[in-house]
Amino acid sequence: MSAPAASRQLSAGRDIPSKRVTVNDPSQLPHDYSTTPGGTLFSTTPGGTRIIYDRNFLLNMRNSPLSQTPPKNLPSIPGVTCPEVGAGAEKPNGARKTATKTDPAEDQFQMDI
Amino acid sequence: MASVGVAKLPLHEDIVKDGKGIKDLQTQDEDGANQVVDPESLIKHPLQSRWSMWFFKNDKAKSWTENLRTVTAFDTVEDFWALYNHIQVASRITSGCDYSLFKEGVKPMWEDDKNKDGGRWLIGFDRKSKPQDIDRCWLETMLLMVGESFDDDSDLVNGAVVNIRSKGNKIAMWTGDWRKEDSITNIGRKFKERLGLPAKYSIGYEAHKDTMTKTGSMAKSLYTV
Repeated sequence: MSAPAASRQLSAGRDIPSKRVTVNDPSQLPHDYSTTPGGTLFSTTPGGTRIIYDRNFLLNMRNSPLSQTPPKNLPSIPGVTCPEVGAGAEKPNGARKTATKTDPAEDQFQMDI
Repeated sequence: MASVGVAKLPLHEDIVKDGKGIKDLQTQDEDGANQVVDPESLIKHPLQSRWSMWFFKNDKAKSWTENLRTVTAFDTVEDFWALYNHIQVASRITSGCDYSLFKEGVKPMWEDDKNKDGGRWLIGFDRKSKPQDIDRCWLETMLLMVGESFDDDSDLVNGAVVNIRSKGNKIAMWTGDWRKEDSITNIGRKFKERLGLPAKYSIGYEAHKDTMTKTGSMAKSLYTV
Protein backbone atom coordinates (compact mmCIF):
# COMPACT_ATOMS: atom_id res chain seq x y z
CA MET A 1 0.00 0.00 0.00
CA SER A 2 2.29 2.72 -1.12
CA ALA A 3 0.95 5.86 -2.68
CA PRO A 4 2.86 7.57 -5.45
CA ALA A 5 5.31 9.84 -3.67
CA ALA A 6 5.50 12.84 -5.95
CA SER A 7 1.76 13.20 -6.33
CA ARG A 8 1.45 16.36 -4.30
CA GLN A 9 2.57 19.46 -6.10
CA LEU A 10 3.36 22.67 -4.35
CA SER A 11 2.98 26.14 -5.74
CA ALA A 12 5.99 28.42 -6.12
CA GLY A 13 7.52 29.96 -3.03
CA ARG A 14 7.84 33.61 -2.25
CA ASP A 15 9.57 35.83 0.30
CA ILE A 16 8.31 36.00 3.85
CA PRO A 17 6.70 39.41 4.17
CA SER A 18 7.66 41.40 7.24
CA LYS A 19 6.17 44.43 8.87
CA ARG A 20 7.39 46.61 11.69
CA VAL A 21 4.95 47.43 14.44
CA THR A 22 5.81 50.25 16.84
CA VAL A 23 4.66 49.79 20.40
CA ASN A 24 4.44 53.09 22.27
CA ASP A 25 2.67 51.92 25.36
CA PRO A 26 2.48 48.61 27.27
CA SER A 27 -1.29 48.65 26.76
CA GLN A 28 -0.70 48.03 23.07
CA LEU A 29 0.91 44.68 23.84
CA PRO A 30 -1.24 41.61 23.34
CA HIS A 31 -2.64 39.86 26.38
CA ASP A 32 -1.09 36.49 25.72
CA TYR A 33 2.38 35.31 24.81
CA SER A 34 1.27 33.48 21.69
CA THR A 35 0.28 36.71 19.96
CA THR A 36 2.80 39.09 18.45
CA PRO A 37 2.13 42.83 18.49
CA GLY A 38 0.14 43.79 15.43
CA GLY A 39 -1.20 40.29 14.85
CA THR A 40 -0.49 36.62 15.15
CA LEU A 41 2.35 34.84 13.43
CA PHE A 42 1.86 33.15 10.10
CA SER A 43 0.89 29.57 10.70
CA THR A 44 1.68 28.65 7.12
CA THR A 45 3.95 30.07 4.48
CA PRO A 46 3.07 33.56 3.27
CA GLY A 47 0.22 33.68 0.85
CA GLY A 48 -0.27 30.02 1.70
CA THR A 49 1.26 27.11 -0.12
CA ARG A 50 -1.55 25.59 -2.09
CA ILE A 51 -2.03 21.88 -1.52
CA ILE A 52 -2.83 20.35 -4.88
CA TYR A 53 -3.69 16.69 -5.46
CA ASP A 54 -3.99 15.18 -8.89
CA ARG A 55 -6.83 12.92 -9.90
CA ASN A 56 -4.90 9.64 -9.80
CA PHE A 57 -3.55 10.27 -6.35
CA LEU A 58 -7.01 11.09 -5.01
CA LEU A 59 -8.50 7.98 -6.63
CA ASN A 60 -5.75 5.80 -5.15
CA MET A 61 -6.50 7.08 -1.68
CA ARG A 62 -10.04 5.74 -1.88
CA ASN A 63 -8.76 2.32 -0.83
CA SER A 64 -6.59 3.56 2.02
CA PRO A 65 -7.49 1.92 5.36
CA LEU A 66 -7.96 5.43 6.73
CA SER A 67 -10.72 6.05 4.15
CA GLN A 68 -12.88 3.15 5.33
CA THR A 69 -14.16 4.37 8.71
CA PRO A 70 -17.51 6.16 8.44
CA PRO A 71 -17.33 9.83 9.48
CA LYS A 72 -18.12 10.52 13.11
CA ASN A 73 -21.54 12.06 13.79
CA LEU A 74 -22.82 11.09 10.35
CA PRO A 75 -26.49 12.05 10.67
CA SER A 76 -29.13 9.49 9.83
CA ILE A 77 -30.67 10.65 6.55
CA PRO A 78 -32.93 8.04 4.91
CA GLY A 79 -31.88 7.39 1.36
CA VAL A 80 -28.49 9.05 1.91
CA THR A 81 -26.70 7.64 4.94
CA CYS A 82 -29.14 4.84 5.74
CA PRO A 83 -31.73 2.84 3.76
CA GLU A 84 -34.80 4.63 2.44
CA VAL A 85 -37.96 4.27 4.51
CA GLY A 86 -40.44 1.89 2.80
CA ALA A 87 -40.95 2.53 -0.91
CA GLY A 88 -43.12 5.55 -1.63
CA ALA A 89 -43.10 6.77 1.96
CA GLU A 90 -41.69 10.26 1.64
CA LYS A 91 -42.50 11.44 5.14
CA PRO A 92 -39.59 12.29 7.42
CA ASN A 93 -40.09 9.07 9.35
CA GLY A 94 -36.52 7.99 9.06
CA ALA A 95 -35.62 8.74 12.65
CA ARG A 96 -38.66 6.93 14.01
CA LYS A 97 -38.02 3.91 11.82
CA THR A 98 -34.50 3.65 13.16
CA ALA A 99 -35.87 3.96 16.68
CA THR A 100 -38.33 1.08 16.21
CA LYS A 101 -35.50 -1.02 14.87
CA THR A 102 -33.64 -0.71 18.16
CA ASP A 103 -36.71 -1.47 20.28
CA PRO A 104 -36.31 -5.26 20.34
CA ALA A 105 -32.71 -4.82 21.38
CA GLU A 106 -33.78 -2.60 24.25
CA ASP A 107 -36.17 -5.29 25.47
CA GLN A 108 -33.34 -7.76 25.67
CA PHE A 109 -31.46 -5.60 28.09
CA GLN A 110 -34.34 -4.76 30.37
CA MET A 111 -33.78 -6.71 33.53
CA ASP A 112 -34.41 -6.30 37.20
CA ILE A 113 -31.42 -5.99 39.41
CA MET B 1 -33.18 28.39 9.57
CA ALA B 2 -33.13 26.84 13.03
CA SER B 3 -33.45 23.28 11.84
CA VAL B 4 -30.47 23.30 9.53
CA GLY B 5 -28.34 20.77 11.34
CA VAL B 6 -24.68 21.67 11.08
CA ALA B 7 -22.59 18.62 11.85
CA LYS B 8 -19.22 20.10 12.67
CA LEU B 9 -16.48 17.73 13.62
CA PRO B 10 -14.49 19.18 16.50
CA LEU B 11 -10.76 18.90 16.12
CA HIS B 12 -10.25 16.56 19.07
CA GLU B 13 -12.56 14.02 17.48
CA ASP B 14 -10.45 14.05 14.37
CA ILE B 15 -7.43 13.28 16.51
CA VAL B 16 -9.22 10.43 18.26
CA LYS B 17 -10.25 9.10 14.87
CA ASP B 18 -6.71 9.42 13.59
CA GLY B 19 -5.38 7.59 16.62
CA LYS B 20 -7.76 4.71 16.03
CA GLY B 21 -6.73 4.45 12.43
CA ILE B 22 -3.09 4.25 13.37
CA LYS B 23 -3.69 1.56 16.01
CA ASP B 24 -5.49 -0.60 13.44
CA LEU B 25 -2.56 -0.34 11.09
CA GLN B 26 -0.04 -1.21 13.77
CA THR B 27 -1.90 -4.42 14.59
CA GLN B 28 -1.82 -5.26 10.95
CA ASP B 29 1.90 -4.66 10.99
CA GLU B 30 2.52 -7.09 13.88
CA ASP B 31 0.79 -9.85 11.95
CA GLY B 32 2.91 -9.15 8.92
CA ALA B 33 6.23 -9.90 10.72
CA ASN B 34 8.98 -7.61 9.42
CA GLN B 35 6.73 -5.59 7.19
CA VAL B 36 7.52 -1.89 7.20
CA VAL B 37 4.52 0.40 7.12
CA ASP B 38 4.81 3.22 4.66
CA PRO B 39 4.36 6.37 6.78
CA GLU B 40 2.35 7.78 3.87
CA SER B 41 -0.42 5.32 4.72
CA LEU B 42 -0.55 6.40 8.39
CA ILE B 43 -1.06 10.09 7.85
CA LYS B 44 -4.19 11.65 6.50
CA HIS B 45 -3.52 14.05 3.65
CA PRO B 46 -4.70 17.57 4.44
CA LEU B 47 -6.77 19.49 1.94
CA GLN B 48 -6.28 23.16 1.17
CA SER B 49 -9.83 23.91 2.36
CA ARG B 50 -12.36 22.36 4.66
CA TRP B 51 -15.49 21.31 2.76
CA SER B 52 -19.08 20.66 3.78
CA MET B 53 -21.37 18.20 2.07
CA TRP B 54 -25.02 19.26 2.01
CA PHE B 55 -28.17 17.34 1.18
CA PHE B 56 -31.33 19.01 -0.04
CA LYS B 57 -34.63 17.17 0.06
CA ASN B 58 -37.62 18.49 -1.79
CA ASP B 59 -40.25 18.27 0.95
CA LYS B 60 -43.00 20.74 0.03
CA ALA B 61 -44.30 20.77 3.61
CA LYS B 62 -41.13 22.47 4.76
CA SER B 63 -39.30 25.65 3.85
CA TRP B 64 -36.35 25.59 1.49
CA THR B 65 -33.82 26.14 4.26
CA GLU B 66 -35.44 23.49 6.47
CA ASN B 67 -34.95 21.01 3.66
CA LEU B 68 -31.25 21.75 3.45
CA ARG B 69 -28.95 20.02 5.90
CA THR B 70 -25.26 19.39 6.31
CA VAL B 71 -24.23 15.77 5.96
CA THR B 72 -20.70 16.25 7.26
CA ALA B 73 -17.54 18.32 6.84
CA PHE B 74 -14.02 17.13 6.11
CA ASP B 75 -10.55 18.50 5.47
CA THR B 76 -8.44 15.50 4.49
CA VAL B 77 -8.37 13.28 1.40
CA GLU B 78 -9.15 10.21 3.51
CA ASP B 79 -12.10 11.86 5.25
CA PHE B 80 -13.50 12.84 1.85
CA TRP B 81 -13.47 9.19 0.81
CA ALA B 82 -14.76 8.04 4.18
CA LEU B 83 -17.80 10.21 3.54
CA TYR B 84 -18.14 9.24 -0.12
CA ASN B 85 -17.84 5.55 0.72
CA HIS B 86 -20.69 5.78 3.22
CA ILE B 87 -23.35 7.81 1.44
CA GLN B 88 -25.64 7.01 -1.44
CA VAL B 89 -24.32 7.84 -4.91
CA ALA B 90 -25.98 10.82 -6.59
CA SER B 91 -27.91 8.80 -9.19
CA ARG B 92 -29.70 6.88 -6.45
CA ILE B 93 -30.95 9.70 -4.28
CA THR B 94 -34.63 10.57 -4.67
CA SER B 95 -35.62 12.71 -7.63
CA GLY B 96 -35.94 16.32 -6.57
CA CYS B 97 -32.98 16.05 -4.19
CA ASP B 98 -29.55 17.68 -4.43
CA TYR B 99 -26.07 17.09 -3.13
CA SER B 100 -23.88 20.15 -2.68
CA LEU B 101 -20.23 20.37 -1.78
CA PHE B 102 -19.14 23.82 -0.63
CA LYS B 103 -16.20 25.32 1.15
CA GLU B 104 -16.95 25.52 4.83
CA GLY B 105 -18.66 28.78 5.67
CA VAL B 106 -20.36 29.12 2.28
CA LYS B 107 -23.98 28.02 2.16
CA PRO B 108 -25.19 26.42 -1.08
CA MET B 109 -27.53 29.31 -1.80
CA TRP B 110 -27.43 32.43 -3.96
CA GLU B 111 -27.99 34.67 -0.95
CA ASP B 112 -24.70 33.73 0.69
CA ASP B 113 -22.23 36.64 0.70
CA LYS B 114 -19.68 34.60 -1.22
CA ASN B 115 -22.21 33.59 -3.85
CA LYS B 116 -24.36 36.65 -4.35
CA ASP B 117 -22.02 38.29 -6.87
CA GLY B 118 -21.11 34.97 -8.40
CA GLY B 119 -22.52 32.52 -10.85
CA ARG B 120 -22.25 28.97 -12.07
CA TRP B 121 -21.02 26.79 -14.89
CA LEU B 122 -24.02 24.65 -15.69
CA ILE B 123 -24.07 21.22 -17.29
CA GLY B 124 -27.42 19.73 -18.16
CA PHE B 125 -27.71 15.99 -18.67
CA ASP B 126 -30.08 14.40 -21.09
CA ARG B 127 -33.02 12.61 -19.52
CA LYS B 128 -31.79 9.43 -21.17
CA SER B 129 -28.22 9.69 -19.89
CA LYS B 130 -26.99 6.74 -17.87
CA PRO B 131 -26.90 6.86 -14.05
CA GLN B 132 -23.18 6.05 -14.22
CA ASP B 133 -22.62 9.28 -16.17
CA ILE B 134 -23.99 11.54 -13.47
CA ASP B 135 -22.13 9.59 -10.76
CA ARG B 136 -18.83 9.77 -12.63
CA CYS B 137 -19.23 13.46 -13.46
CA TRP B 138 -20.22 14.38 -9.90
CA LEU B 139 -17.21 12.51 -8.51
CA GLU B 140 -14.89 14.23 -11.01
CA THR B 141 -16.40 17.58 -10.01
CA MET B 142 -15.69 16.94 -6.34
CA LEU B 143 -12.15 15.70 -7.02
CA LEU B 144 -11.44 18.83 -9.07
CA MET B 145 -12.46 20.99 -6.15
CA VAL B 146 -10.86 19.21 -3.19
CA GLY B 147 -7.64 18.68 -5.19
CA GLU B 148 -7.44 22.44 -5.98
CA SER B 149 -7.14 21.69 -9.68
CA PHE B 150 -7.60 25.28 -10.83
CA ASP B 151 -4.35 26.57 -9.32
CA ASP B 152 -4.86 30.09 -7.98
CA ASP B 153 -8.30 30.28 -9.60
CA SER B 154 -9.35 27.62 -7.08
CA ASP B 155 -9.90 30.46 -4.62
CA LEU B 156 -12.78 31.67 -6.77
CA VAL B 157 -14.53 28.29 -6.63
CA ASN B 158 -17.16 28.18 -3.89
CA GLY B 159 -18.65 24.76 -4.47
CA ALA B 160 -20.79 22.61 -6.71
CA VAL B 161 -24.30 21.22 -6.80
CA VAL B 162 -25.81 18.15 -8.41
CA ASN B 163 -29.58 18.26 -8.99
CA ILE B 164 -31.31 14.92 -9.50
CA ARG B 165 -34.42 15.61 -11.54
CA SER B 166 -36.71 13.41 -13.60
CA LYS B 167 -36.64 15.98 -16.41
CA GLY B 168 -32.82 15.84 -16.54
CA ASN B 169 -30.01 15.95 -14.00
CA LYS B 170 -27.73 18.97 -13.66
CA ILE B 171 -24.29 19.65 -12.27
CA ALA B 172 -23.15 23.20 -11.60
CA MET B 173 -19.89 24.59 -10.35
CA TRP B 174 -20.38 27.81 -8.40
CA THR B 175 -17.85 30.62 -8.30
CA GLY B 176 -17.62 34.02 -6.71
CA ASP B 177 -17.39 37.31 -8.64
CA TRP B 178 -18.82 36.80 -12.15
CA ARG B 179 -16.74 39.75 -13.43
CA LYS B 180 -13.49 37.77 -13.26
CA GLU B 181 -13.80 36.54 -16.81
CA ASP B 182 -10.30 35.06 -17.18
CA SER B 183 -10.42 33.03 -14.00
CA ILE B 184 -13.97 31.88 -14.63
CA THR B 185 -13.13 30.87 -18.19
CA ASN B 186 -10.12 28.88 -16.96
CA ILE B 187 -12.29 27.12 -14.42
CA GLY B 188 -14.91 26.33 -17.06
CA ARG B 189 -12.37 24.93 -19.51
CA LYS B 190 -10.81 22.67 -16.92
CA PHE B 191 -14.23 21.58 -15.69
CA LYS B 192 -15.40 20.66 -19.18
CA GLU B 193 -12.14 18.91 -20.01
CA ARG B 194 -12.10 16.80 -16.84
CA LEU B 195 -15.68 15.72 -17.28
CA GLY B 196 -14.73 14.51 -20.74
CA LEU B 197 -17.40 16.51 -22.53
CA PRO B 198 -17.07 16.58 -26.32
CA ALA B 199 -15.40 19.74 -27.67
CA LYS B 200 -18.46 20.59 -29.75
CA TYR B 201 -20.68 20.55 -26.68
CA SER B 202 -20.46 23.98 -25.11
CA ILE B 203 -21.27 24.81 -21.52
CA GLY B 204 -22.47 28.18 -20.28
CA TYR B 205 -21.79 30.35 -17.25
CA GLU B 206 -24.63 32.35 -15.84
CA ALA B 207 -24.55 34.95 -13.07
CA HIS B 208 -26.85 34.16 -10.15
CA LYS B 209 -28.39 37.64 -10.43
CA ASP B 210 -29.55 36.75 -13.95
CA THR B 211 -30.82 33.32 -12.90
CA MET B 212 -32.77 34.90 -10.05
CA THR B 213 -34.58 37.45 -12.18
CA LYS B 214 -35.25 35.03 -15.01
CA THR B 215 -38.23 32.80 -14.40
CA GLY B 216 -38.92 29.77 -16.53
CA SER B 217 -36.42 29.29 -19.31
CA MET B 218 -32.67 29.50 -18.98
CA ALA B 219 -30.82 32.67 -18.09
CA LYS B 220 -28.42 34.08 -20.64
CA SER B 221 -24.89 32.77 -20.54
CA LEU B 222 -22.24 35.36 -19.76
CA TYR B 223 -19.44 33.09 -20.94
CA THR B 224 -19.26 29.82 -22.81
CA VAL B 225 -16.48 27.29 -23.29
